Formats: sequence, C-alpha cells, structure tokens
Amino acid sequence: MSFNELILSIMDRLDGQRTVSAPFHVLKGKKSGQTIQDIGYFGLHPFFGVISDLQKGTYDEAVTQLCEAGLIEQADGPIKLTEKGRNRKKVPVRLDGWTFQGRERLFFARLSLAVQTFSHVRAGNPVFDPAQTRTDIQFWVKDYLRKMNFSAPESYAAFRSQLTESLMLADCPDRSKTILVDRLSGIGIGGLTWRQISAEYGISEMDAKIEATAALHAWLAVLREEGFPMLIPFLEGVLRHSPLTDSTKRTLRLYKEGLSVDEIAAVRKLKRSTIEDHFVELAMNDPAFDFTSFMSREAYERVNDISKSSGSKKLRDIKEQLPELSYFQIRLALSAGGEQP
Amino acid sequence: MSLEQLLEKTYGFDSFRPGQKEVITAVMDGRNVLALLPTGMGKSMCYQLPGHMLPGSVLIVSPLLSLMLDQVSQLKKMGEKSVVALNSFLKPEEKEAVLRKAGDYKFIFVSPEMLAQPFVISRLKRIRISLLVADEAHCISQWGFDFRPDYLRISEVMAELGSPQVLALTATATKKVQQDILHYLSLEEPNIYVHPMDRRNIAYDVKRFDTREGKLEWLKDFTAHYAGRGIVYAGTRKKAEELSAVLRQNGVRAVFYHGGMEQLDRVFIQQQFQNGETDWVCSTSAFGMGVHVPDIRHVIHFQIPTSIEEFVQEVGRAGRDGQPSLSTLLVSPGDEALMNALLADELPTRFEAEAVLNSGGDRALVSDGVVRETSFRVLKYWLSRMPLDKTMQRMENLLQEKMNRAARMSGFPASDGCLRSYIAETFDQEITDRPSNCCVNCGLDYSMYPVRKEGEQHSGSGGWQERLGRILP
Repeated sequence: MSFNELILSIMDRLDGQRTVSAPFHVLKGKKSGQTIQDIGYFGLHPFFGVISDLQKGTYDEAVTQLCEAGLIEQADGPIKLTEKGRNRKKVPVRLDGWTFQGRERLFFARLSLAVQTFSHVRAGNPVFDPAQTRTDIQFWVKDYLRKMNFSAPESYAAFRSQLTESLMLADCPDRSKTILVDRLSGIGIGGLTWRQISAEYGISEMDAKIEATAALHAWLAVLREEGFPMLIPFLEGVLRHSPLTDSTKRTLRLYKEGLSVDEIAAVRKLKRSTIEDHFVELAMNDPAFDFTSFMSREAYERVNDISKSSGSKKLRDIKEQLPELSYFQIRLALSAGGEQP
Repeated sequence: MSLEQLLEKTYGFDSFRPGQKEVITAVMDGRNVLALLPTGMGKSMCYQLPGHMLPGSVLIVSPLLSLMLDQVSQLKKMGEKSVVALNSFLKPEEKEAVLRKAGDYKFIFVSPEMLAQPFVISRLKRIRISLLVADEAHCISQWGFDFRPDYLRISEVMAELGSPQVLALTATATKKVQQDILHYLSLEEPNIYVHPMDRRNIAYDVKRFDTREGKLEWLKDFTAHYAGRGIVYAGTRKKAEELSAVLRQNGVRAVFYHGGMEQLDRVFIQQQFQNGETDWVCSTSAFGMGVHVPDIRHVIHFQIPTSIEEFVQEVGRAGRDGQPSLSTLLVSPGDEALMNALLADELPTRFEAEAVLNSGGDRALVSDGVVRETSFRVLKYWLSRMPLDKTMQRMENLLQEKMNRAARMSGFPASDGCLRSYIAETFDQEITDRPSNCCVNCGLDYSMYPVRKEGEQHSGSGGWQERLGRILP
C-alpha cells in the first residue's frame, strides 16, 4: 500500500465528516482527544501512528497529488472523495498501528542487532561495528544473547529457522518482506538505505517505509499468536501490556463470546453493576471500544455534547436532560468519549 | 615489562606505529604532552596503553558526539571493557548512575558541554584522574578551522580536577594553533611531539577544467578505468547525490553519504563501503569519521576544500595500509568564488549576534532556526565576554583568517612547485626525502594504481529468503 493509498483509505472512512488535515494527525499518532475518539468512531486503528515522523509538507504534497489525480474534490476544508475516489480499486490494509504505536521499531532495532551478532559469531568473527548505536538497545541484545546461550550452534540454528518460519507466516506481500530484510545486515553484507531500496523497486522512499512497517506489523502478529521461543523475548515492551484488571478481562472474554451483560453477571455470579463497571473500564482504556451495542451513536453524542456544553460531568445533570438513558449508558458514553465520569 | 611487551600482551600488536612510542614514553615520564600525529596513525593508543599503567582513570575530552561514539566503540572492539561516554545522549538517571561509579571506569569520555555542569565536575572531583586527554586539541584555538568555544572550559576545570597531567592530541595544527593549545591548556614545560605530516604513500594530483561539466566527464572516465575503493568529496549534499547517480548510470558501484541521512542509512553506507559492496562513496565532509577502511586508494575532491587542514584530513583517509594511494583535486573557474561565498555564509551575522544577545543565549534560537548551530556556539562564547561591536569585530577578523586559509588552499592547485612541499610548508615542516611518486608537478606514475576489473556488478535481489540465507547461512 502506497502513501497516497494510505491517505485515501483514511479519507474514505472520514468522508464528509472531518477536514483534510485529520488523516495527518492519525498517521502521526497524535494523542489528542479528538484524534483518539475518531480512531474508535471511524475504525482507524490500522493507521494510528504508522508514520510518526511525518512532515506536514510531505503530507500536503500527497494531498495535492490526490486532488490532481481527481480522487478527492479539494485539498483543504472537509474531506470529499470524488466518484473516482470512492470507486477506486481498494488495497487491503495490513497495518496495525493502534496495537504497536511505533514500538515495532524497537522490535526491529533489537532484532537487527541480534541478527548482525549471530551472523558474525557464526563466522567466528565476533568483533564488528554494531548497526544500532543506542546503548539501551545494545544492552538489551547483549542480555538476550547471553540468556539464549548464543554461541551454541543449536541456538544459532533455532534462531535462524524460527526467524525464517515466522516471517514466512506473516500475512503480507513478499516484496514487503524483502524490503524488511534489506534493512538487516550481517557479516560481509551491508543493509540497504531507503534510497537504494526505493531505486531497486521503483517506489518512493515513503512507500518503502510504509511497506516495511506493514511487514513488521504482520510479522509481530504471527509472533504474538504462535510460539517461537527464540523470538518471544523481542516482544518485551513492544506489545503493550493490557491495563485491564483480570476480572475485566474475564468479562471481556465472555462478551466476545456473545454473552449479554446480564448473562455475564449470571455466569460469573456477580452483580450486574459490577459487570457494568467492567464495561466502563473497557471503554475508558480502549478508544476502539464499540459502544453501539449498548446505545446508539446519537445517544452517545448527545451525552457528550451536554457534558461539554454544560461543563458538567455529573450523571444526574445529564440524566435529567436524557431521562430515556440509563446511568450505565451515560457513564459508558462519557468514558468512551475520553472523559472520566 | 617493556612497552612493546605490554602492547603485545594487551592488544596483540607486535610493534608500535610511528610516533606512538615517543608519545607514550613522554606521558609515562609524567610530562605534559602535545602530540601532532597524522590521521590514521592510531592516536588513541597514546592514552590507551598509559591507561593500563597509570593508577586511576583517564578522562578524554572529545569535541564531537559522533567522534566520541566511534572512539568508544573502537576501544570496545579492541577489548577494553572499562569504557564509558558521558554525553547529552544519556538520560539523567543514566548519567547519575555512570557518575556514581565513575572511578570504576578506566576510560571516561566526556563532551566539553558536560564539563560545564557543576554536578559532573563535583562527581569527577571525587575520583582519581591520572591523565586528561584533550582530543582534537586544535578545537581550542579560535584560529583553528574547527574552533569549539566549549573547549576553553577544559582549562577552567583543570584546577578543580586536581591539575592532572595533560595529553593534547591533534592531527593538524599550524605553529599558531600549537601556541594557542599550549597557552589555553596552560601546559608548562610541555613535551611537544610533531610527527611529519607527510604521508609518503599518498601522491597528489590536480586536474584543471574549463567547466564543471569537464570535471564530471573526467570523474566518469576515471572511475570507469581505475579500481576503488575511493571517496569523492562533493562539497554539498545535493552534489554528492548527483555524482553518485551519474557514476551508477555509468555502471560504477557508487553510493552517496551525507549528514542529512538517517542514522541507520549512514551506518549501512559505512557497512557497504567496508564490505566492498560499493567502490565509491560520494559525500560531504561528513564521511570519514567512523570509517575504518585501510585500503582506500583514491580521495577525489570534486570541490576545493576551504583550508589545507581540511584537505589534509580528508586526503589522510586514503592509504592507511601503506599502499600507493592518490589524492586528486579537481578545479574549474568559479570554484574560488563559490568557496569564498561559502566562507562568508558560514560566518555569524550581526542579526544572529543580536538575537543571541537579546535572548540571553537561549538555545531555542537554534531549534527555531533563527540562529545556526555553529554561529550560536561561537557567538554565545564571545558575547559573554565582550560587547556586541567587539564581537562583530572579532567575527570580521575570523572571516579574514578564514579567507587567508582559503587563499592558501587556492594556492595549492595554482602552484607549479612540489605539492607535497606546499602542504608541509603550511604546517611549518619541510620535505627532505621525496618519494618517487610525489605529485603532478614532480611527476606521477599512474600505473601504481590498480585498474578496474569488469563484472563487479551486484547481483539482483533473489528475494528475502535468499538474502536472509546469506546473512545467516
């Protein structure tokens, strides 16, 4: 997926609802209430923070190109896709920005240093200039290698085969994997610069970076699901630990199985209000939380409008104006809106 | 144990490189030493080996972050474990942790900025520093081509650190700069070791052209005929990219390198050059430090540098293996004007000076793009010591000095005498014994330089599994 396709995919979801600058903030991973809320509203999780170092000028240029290509109506103001833009051939989105929030780079930095080390150690030449100059990365990798007994031939073989097998399982085009591996180096083999990769495949540097990120996300998804013991340590601090309490996690699991609030309460032998608390906690911690099975989007917006215009988060004040909603629904709407009720 | 035995035992080398033993002996005699050793002669050994004999720690002041990181990694590569770098990269808690056990480290690298922090000094005062090394000591001189005002702080903190013995190291310093170093570091009865600047295995060539296109055609022909590896110093980032593209189109393995690239990309270019995956690097002056390739055969200057010091430093990257190597300077009309414009442009402006003065030296000026990094450094130093007008007068003098150095550089291609002698004279040295392959004016034998073998094109990508299989066979 190219940079322009990426922007257009976001615009497609925001069509007529937000201004042209909104996708920029999504791609940069801006942690403002509005952007975070939009992530949940419009299902923009794949895109969140995938180009954290994006420059406004680069973005504006791409928007102008989309405009000139007749895919969007205008380069500023509200987003308006043209007929051509809406009917374009859609490319599958393989990103998972919300889950990783840029931490895939930490994963890759560690991995590339480990690969470089294994490559040199196997050749009996353990002295080399590390590709990663950050000392925290170097310490981490040193520690990892020691724990993995890295100089043993079995460790090398396991590392190598798990690396290949897991990357093979990653759900993304082969070219994206090649770009990723081009960014690895070993004994006698230098990594390729973004410019070299761009020339090799005839794509822009930005497009190459997006492909590499997509490949990392797909790879990480594999590592998370399947057991690759040599690679699991690399996930440390890359997969965000869920901030949810264990009890809430249990509720979530039952909810995902299709149980209603009352059914969950019955199964778990807990009061309904306790289960409701779990959902409020979920809504607070996960901007992607889908509240529509509990109330309509209109109701949600009315709660937050009233809360905002009256400056009041008191449940009773809101309940007075919206008697048809339950306290639970109001609390849920406020939590999902990013406000602590 | 003799010094040679210690060298063998510690690092596995069986002999010293020229100059090292003289300097180390003087240091071990307890003298303050100023050593001028050409680039690539293993300057760091001059404090590494004493470090193993002296009690306490060696404190090395290093002016450039990238240089410091490179020195640390080189020391570690040589098996030194007890090395640490104190610089702005460290988080406060890391810095605190390092300083708390500073005495446990044999080699402590520190940036001059760090030396200005009272907290750092108070911690360093508690440990025993047997030797203070001022690396790239020419940075202390405002007449040096690389003046770093922060360097003057070394003298300010020396007394606080118990006036340790000092070793000042540099690759390039004229007499004037040498005097500045001795003066500002208050080195009494110093032992001055000056190694001949001349690198006998490097020959000097100059090519004149009527147009810049002429240079480009020559470069294409030369790189198509001669084998690398080589560096082409291009002058600007844009030019570096352009030249590498032209060479590649011509079927030559060439890449570009400059400070505008992201860190990992720069590492990759160094790897490719080191591995021999590319033959030519077209670059700005940013390329060189951290490049440890002994068999660079050619250094070509597509644009004339602004001083002989800079020229010598860049040329000095060639031929560290002692084999015949060639420096080629390409000149065409208009080069000088460009060089002078560049120099005038480098100089801090009155506007910048006023901004620094009015803000009280707020660093935000740099990040906001109001004042350039180097201007800020220089202006902040002088404005804290003298009024605006005097500072600007100093800047004028500085420009004049730079112009003089540039004129000395311009005289190099214009000279019809021995170019090797021309360089030596710049550093108040003389050439007594000319090598047979000396310079374009004394006579050059191009057959010394290996020609290119065809078929060195890189093989196309065979997919990720193939590449991964080569990295991890």
